Amino acid sequence: MVQVPLTDIRGGRGPEAVPRRHRMGRKKELFWAVVFLLPAGLAIVSMRIAPALGAFWTSLHKGFPGGLKDPAFSGFENYVALFTSPAFGETVLRTVLFNVILNPVQILIALMLAVLMTRRLHLRGLWRILLFVPATIPIVGSSIVWGIAMRPDGPLNAILDALGLGRQPFLTSSTHALASIMLVATWVGVGYWMLFLISGIEAIPDEYYEAARLDRAGPIRTFFHITLPMLKRPLLFVLVADTVANFVLFVPIQMLTGGGPQNSTTMLMFDAYRTSYTYSDKNLGAAQVIVLTLIMLIFVAAQFALLREDEKGGRNG
Amino acid sequence: MADPVPASVLGAPRRAPRWARRSPLATAIAVLVCMVFVLPVLWLLVGSLRPADEIFSSLSPLSWRILVPSQVTFENFAGLLLGPFGRALVVSLLVCLISVAVGTVLCALAAYAVAVLRFPGRGIVFAVIVVGFMIPFEAIAIPLSQLFTGWGLTNTIIGLVLPGIGNGLAVFNLRQHFLSIPASYREAAMIDGASEPRIFGSIYWPLGGGALVNSALLIFLGQWGSFLWPLLVVSDRSLQVAPVALSQAFGEHTSNFGQHFAGAVILSLIPAVLMFIMQRSFGGLSIASGEK
Repeated sequence: MVQVPLTDIRGGRGPEAVPRRHRMGRKKELFWAVVFLLPAGLAIVSMRIAPALGAFWTSLHKGFPGGLKDPAFSGFENYVALFTSPAFGETVLRTVLFNVILNPVQILIALMLAVLMTRRLHLRGLWRILLFVPATIPIVGSSIVWGIAMRPDGPLNAILDALGLGRQPFLTSSTHALASIMLVATWVGVGYWMLFLISGIEAIPDEYYEAARLDRAGPIRTFFHITLPMLKRPLLFVLVADTVANFVLFVPIQMLTGGGPQNSTTMLMFDAYRTSYTYSDKNLGAAQVIVLTLIMLIFVAAQFALLREDEKGGRNG
Repeated sequence: MADPVPASVLGAPRRAPRWARRSPLATAIAVLVCMVFVLPVLWLLVGSLRPADEIFSSLSPLSWRILVPSQVTFENFAGLLLGPFGRALVVSLLVCLISVAVGTVLCALAAYAVAVLRFPGRGIVFAVIVVGFMIPFEAIAIPLSQLFTGWGLTNTIIGLVLPGIGNGLAVFNLRQHFLSIPASYREAAMIDGASEPRIFGSIYWPLGGGALVNSALLIFLGQWGSFLWPLLVVSDRSLQVAPVALSQAFGEHTSNFGQHFAGAVILSLIPAVLMFIMQRSFGGLSIASGEK
C-alpha cells in the first residue's frame, strides 16, 4: 500500500507508537464505514435481496383460495403445476421467441444507426438528438401514441390505405399484436442503445482507420475488420442490457393488449403480474417470477459466453 | 484496450478517411431515418395542441392536415390538469423530490465510505452495492410489493419513495468523483480534529458538484418513469402517480385523445426540461451528440 511508508515517516518516533495509532485509526474508520454504509445496506437488503429470496420461499408454498388458511409448504408443486400446464409452456416459448427475434434485431438497428451517425453528415448533432427523442418519452406516453396510431381508424391505417395497401388489425388480431408490441419496443429502445454504440465507435483510435485506408480497405471491409471487433465490449453491454429490458417489458403489453388477443402477447412478466394480482395467486406468481429470472440469466450467460468465445477465435485467426 | 493518447500527444489532427467525408447521400439517409423516429413525436405534440375532434378528422381521407392544426389550443392541457391527472402530477413530483433528497444523501454516504474510508472487504461491499441495485427492479417488484403489504406501506408516499432511493449507478458515479478529490484535504481536516461526518459534510459533499447533480437526476428519472411499482402498491386513487393515472384514463374513456396526448407531452417535457437545465448549468450527463 502507498499509505504505509507515509505513516512510518510521520510517526517515526517509537517502534510501538506507530502501529497502535494506526490500528486505532483503522477501528475508527471501520466504525464510520459501517455508519455510512448502513442506509444503503438496509435499502439493498430490504428492497433487493429480501424480495428475491422471499419470492423463492413463497414459490415453495401453496396458497388456499380466499386466503382463509395460511399457505402451506408444498415443495416444487407450483413449478410442477406450471410446467405441466400447456398455457404456461406456450408463454415460456413465446417469451423466448420474442427475445430471440427482438434483441438481435434491435441491436442490429442500433448498430446501423450508430454507424450512420458517426459518418460525416451535415448537421450530425441534430440527427443524433432526433433519434434519441423517442427514448426520452416515458414508456406510458409512447404506448399512448402508438396505441392511438395503431387503432383501426388511426393514422397508420390511413397511410396504408392511401398507399393502396390494406388496413391492418395491428393490436386486435392475434397474428399481428406481438409484432406491433415489438415495433413499439424497438421505436422506444434503439435510439438509446445507439448512444452507447456511438461512443464505442468514437473511442476507436483513428490510426486503425488510417491503417485500413493505407491497405486500401473499403468501407465494408473496414467495418468488419476494425469497427466490429473493436466494438465488442459496448456491444456485449448493450445486448445484455437490452435483453434484460425486453424480458421485463410490461407497460406496452399492459396498456395496449392486456396480454391478448387470445394470449398472443402474454409474456412471462405480464403473466406473473396477472397471476399475482388479477388471479390473486401470489405463490404461483412467485414461481413464475423465479422461472422468468432463471431464463433471463441463462440468456445473459449465453451472450457472455458467445461473445467471449468470439474474442478468443478472433485472436487465433 | 484502445489507447487514444498517442494521437493527442503527437498533436496529429483527427482526420476522417476519404470515404467518411461529408456525403450528401448519407445525410439524405439520415434525414429519412430520423423522420420515422420523429414523426410520431410530432404527431403527439400537434395532437396535444389541436382541438380534440381534429385528431381523426384529418385521417379519412388522409390530408396534409394530419400534422397541421387549424388552430392552436391549450384546452387539452387545461382539461387534463383540472382532472385527476393534475393531482397525480403533484403526487409524482412529491415522490420524486423526496426520493432525490433522501436518495442523493444515501448514495453519497455509501460512495464516501467505499471511496475514502479504508476497511477490510471494501471492494466486495462496493461490488455488492453496484450489482445489487442493478438487479432488474421489475423482476422483484411483485414479491417486494407483497413484503410492503406486510410492512403496512401500501398506499403511502413512503411506500412509493423507498424502492427508488438506492441507485447503483449513482453510487458508482459519486465514488469515481470522490476518488478524484485530493486525499490531502481530508488529511488536513483530520489534523484539525474533524470527524468523518464533518469531513463528508464540509469537504466532500460541497465538492460533489456535477456528480451529485447527475446522481440526483438518475434517481429522479428512475422514479419519474416508474409505472409497475405504483400500480402494485397504490390502490388509493388520490395517491396515484401521473403515469398510472394517465394509463388508467387511457384505458377507461378512450375518446379523450387530445387529453391523453397532452398527458404524454407533460410527462415527457418535465424530465427533458430538467435535463436541459442541468446540462446547461453543470455540464453533466453527457449524451453523445454533436461534433467532436
